[in-house]
Amino acid sequence: MALRSQATAKKAPPPPRPIRLPSTTETTTSSGLKVLAAERGPLPLVSIRLVLHAGSITDPKDKEGLADFTVRLLRRGTETLSADAIDEAIEFVGASLSGGVSEDLMSLYVTTPAEHFSSMLAVLGQIVREPSFPEKEVELARERTLAQFANDLDDPDTITSRAFNRALWGEHPYGHDVGGKAAHVRTFTREDLVRFHRERIGPQTALLVVVGAVKPEVVAAEAEKAFAGWAPAEQGTPVAVPTVARMAQAGKVILVDKPDQTQSQVRIGGPGYRLGHPDYFAAAAMNIVLGGGFTSRLVNEIRVERGLSYGVGSYFDAMSAAGSFAISTFTKTASTREIIDVALAEVAKMRTGGITPRELKTAQTYLAGLYPLRTETNESVASVIADIRVYGLGEDWVEKFRERLHAVTAKQVKEAAAKYLFPEPPVIVVLGRAAEAKKLLKGLGPIRVVPVSEYA
Amino acid sequence: MPKASPRTAPRRADAALQSLLTVHEATLSNGLRVRLLPNAQTPVVSLYTFFQVGSRNERPGITGISHLFEHMMFNGAKKYGPKQFDRTLESNGGRSNAYTSNDMTVYYDDFAVDALETVLDLESDRMRSLRISDSSLASEREVVKEERRVRVDNEITGMLDEELGTLIFKAHPYRWPVIGWMADIENISRRDCEEYFRTYYAPNNAVLYISGDIDPKKTLALVRRYYGDIPKGPTPATVLDAEPAQKGERRAQVRHPAQSPSLMIGYRGPRASEEDTLVLDVIQYAMNKGEGSRLVKSLIYEQQAAVSVMFDWGWRIDPGTIVFYLELKPESDPQKSEAALYAELERVAKEGLTERELQKAKNNLRSDQLRELATNTGRAHALGHYETLLGSWQELLVLPSRYAAISNEQVKAVATKFFAPERRSVVTLLPEPSAA
Repeated sequence: MALRSQATAKKAPPPPRPIRLPSTTETTTSSGLKVLAAERGPLPLVSIRLVLHAGSITDPKDKEGLADFTVRLLRRGTETLSADAIDEAIEFVGASLSGGVSEDLMSLYVTTPAEHFSSMLAVLGQIVREPSFPEKEVELARERTLAQFANDLDDPDTITSRAFNRALWGEHPYGHDVGGKAAHVRTFTREDLVRFHRERIGPQTALLVVVGAVKPEVVAAEAEKAFAGWAPAEQGTPVAVPTVARMAQAGKVILVDKPDQTQSQVRIGGPGYRLGHPDYFAAAAMNIVLGGGFTSRLVNEIRVERGLSYGVGSYFDAMSAAGSFAISTFTKTASTREIIDVALAEVAKMRTGGITPRELKTAQTYLAGLYPLRTETNESVASVIADIRVYGLGEDWVEKFRERLHAVTAKQVKEAAAKYLFPEPPVIVVLGRAAEAKKLLKGLGPIRVVPVSEYA
Repeated sequence: MPKASPRTAPRRADAALQSLLTVHEATLSNGLRVRLLPNAQTPVVSLYTFFQVGSRNERPGITGISHLFEHMMFNGAKKYGPKQFDRTLESNGGRSNAYTSNDMTVYYDDFAVDALETVLDLESDRMRSLRISDSSLASEREVVKEERRVRVDNEITGMLDEELGTLIFKAHPYRWPVIGWMADIENISRRDCEEYFRTYYAPNNAVLYISGDIDPKKTLALVRRYYGDIPKGPTPATVLDAEPAQKGERRAQVRHPAQSPSLMIGYRGPRASEEDTLVLDVIQYAMNKGEGSRLVKSLIYEQQAAVSVMFDWGWRIDPGTIVFYLELKPESDPQKSEAALYAELERVAKEGLTERELQKAKNNLRSDQLRELATNTGRAHALGHYETLLGSWQELLVLPSRYAAISNEQVKAVATKFFAPERRSVVTLLPEPSAA
């Protein structure tokens, strides 16, 4: 084995095969919708992605969750199609439609067998152009959503994430849950949906991306038909979101009491960066070493060395205007403090010491080696094409990704660590058995014990 | 009782699937089977190793050992010692993970093309010479206990699923959860693990699937070089299915502080290799795939008898389970929801599906099959899945023709047979006030 390695090492390694997105054709419909089409085989499938600047940041102040509620109601009836007719049209042919909302965007996804592309695009056009929001459907969805909020209280992961999000962002537009909260959802009416649709869902706030076994000229022609006459949204401009330097509950501990738990869920967080920020590559490499891959320092110290948890990781969550950096893990109640201390010690070590050249090289090779997976399916290609355009990542984002990653230096990583690894005390959220956990958390900051019911 | 699936469906290889799957096959002299799937679309490779061992091969006292052992496979062998597996893989541009089910243990690596030889070196090293230390076993045991806490002890569906398993099965090893009982996890010894390794992790009990930007000839030569000298192991003991016939409905209650009641209902199903399995796939799709499916439309939208409904029919080597999970609203009456579900199941048994529903289910099975084959990892996994459960990966190619031939008469017969009340087990979650 050793001999063979030496033999092959003499030859210069071939340059990595370039990764390119399939070429895209851009057109605009007469109603003003931008369309990006990329032909891609060999599977006879097509992925359609419609993104709109109608994320949870566009929820009205007292109607948190309205964008998310709206995307679910879009398919429950249009001027000419009932909910049943829509379901039947899409699902009979083996296509699927789903929708979702993030802080920044509303997205609708369709995947379809290629031969049904035109009719599926026509249905998508219908539901965004002229949803009818039937009174009965709104009422049922409201009741179901409220029941879901109640049941969420039994799901420790969901509630911890919700508590953490609020503790990080507070009153900032990113601080309310994408799904809203019961008190607001209870007030949703058909009129709220009609108004949201009128104000936020129109061609000038949208981008259509189509990837798969279909010719770009067919995409352009069918998009023209499907979205003809789509009226512009009244408030077509994206909402301006302030940047953030300090998290709402920085330095504090929120302890969510759920007495039936044998385990504590733990989140620790602080500010990160916005999407498309120049720190991205250095921070990504740093994060792989700290808590990204299976060999990261956090996984090694918490899982491998001490057996404290099944899962631990750190991540940057980047949105259009700001972002966060966080550590997420869980452990049996008795080791709640130990896991926090170990995590914070690793963060401190990284903040002051940075990483070794070998760790940097590993992180770069790891990320670069797996990056091509981002271009493997129609769905992932459509997603990266949309991101490039919506967040202004630059048309060469995919092509230059590995080059930029390899250009990161140890010095840049150290700067990123100093900048993002809790230079100010972080927010700590723990969910679990408060009676036992509270005494373990002393000294980490002021502790506020909150009943789980606060997160309905 | 009506006889299900009276005729054998046609078995024609599907041309579209065949064009996606160029497979080169080989078997080494030590019994290791190799399947190579070249595809140059993306410069990455997926390697799957399927071992024919799961919780089905366990016995009381060491339940969960297949899964605990899965963890141990990452903790060091002869050439690549403790922590070296993941470190070597990641520093060469790859990642790895694994899962254990009732029937199989599956290890997989995704990596950049130039890491292929390193990955074969890593994987063959641990198949040849795994080393288990007391300290890594002690630490990993704690990790698995945390995994059990997060998935079972602190999660409602996990709790109910565990209860349901012990109701449906009295004798078969499907009775215990894949992760094992807590006390067994605590007591599995290093010797148990070493014996497990010798018995089940030999090349003759494994199949290798390599899918991606590879040259099949060169890759096979590498596989031979790295795996060829691993000695063959003993033939593992056959698992006896001693499960007695069920003679009536079985019920259990779980009391737990929860917002709402919920229901998990299981019926004994067929084994994967039976024709009825495919008919159940069609029924599952017609009843639970999409917003317009029967159960979603009826139970959620029309009757509002549930917040969500799940119909899980998972293929297994021995007769498995058809499981329904109904998430309910607070204050609702679980009996009513239960009755609403049974009414829908009886309707299928009596009237079957409409021709349009039948066709719709087949169309969706077809789309999902194509989607599954869109990635290297999907293609390699699909081959392993079908080979493990049906004996040959080629079975995948004839599935479309077998689905296409399914008739409404078969649907009725299968629904009548499998949704019979005497095959049923029901677990009801009843909320009780929190201890605080």
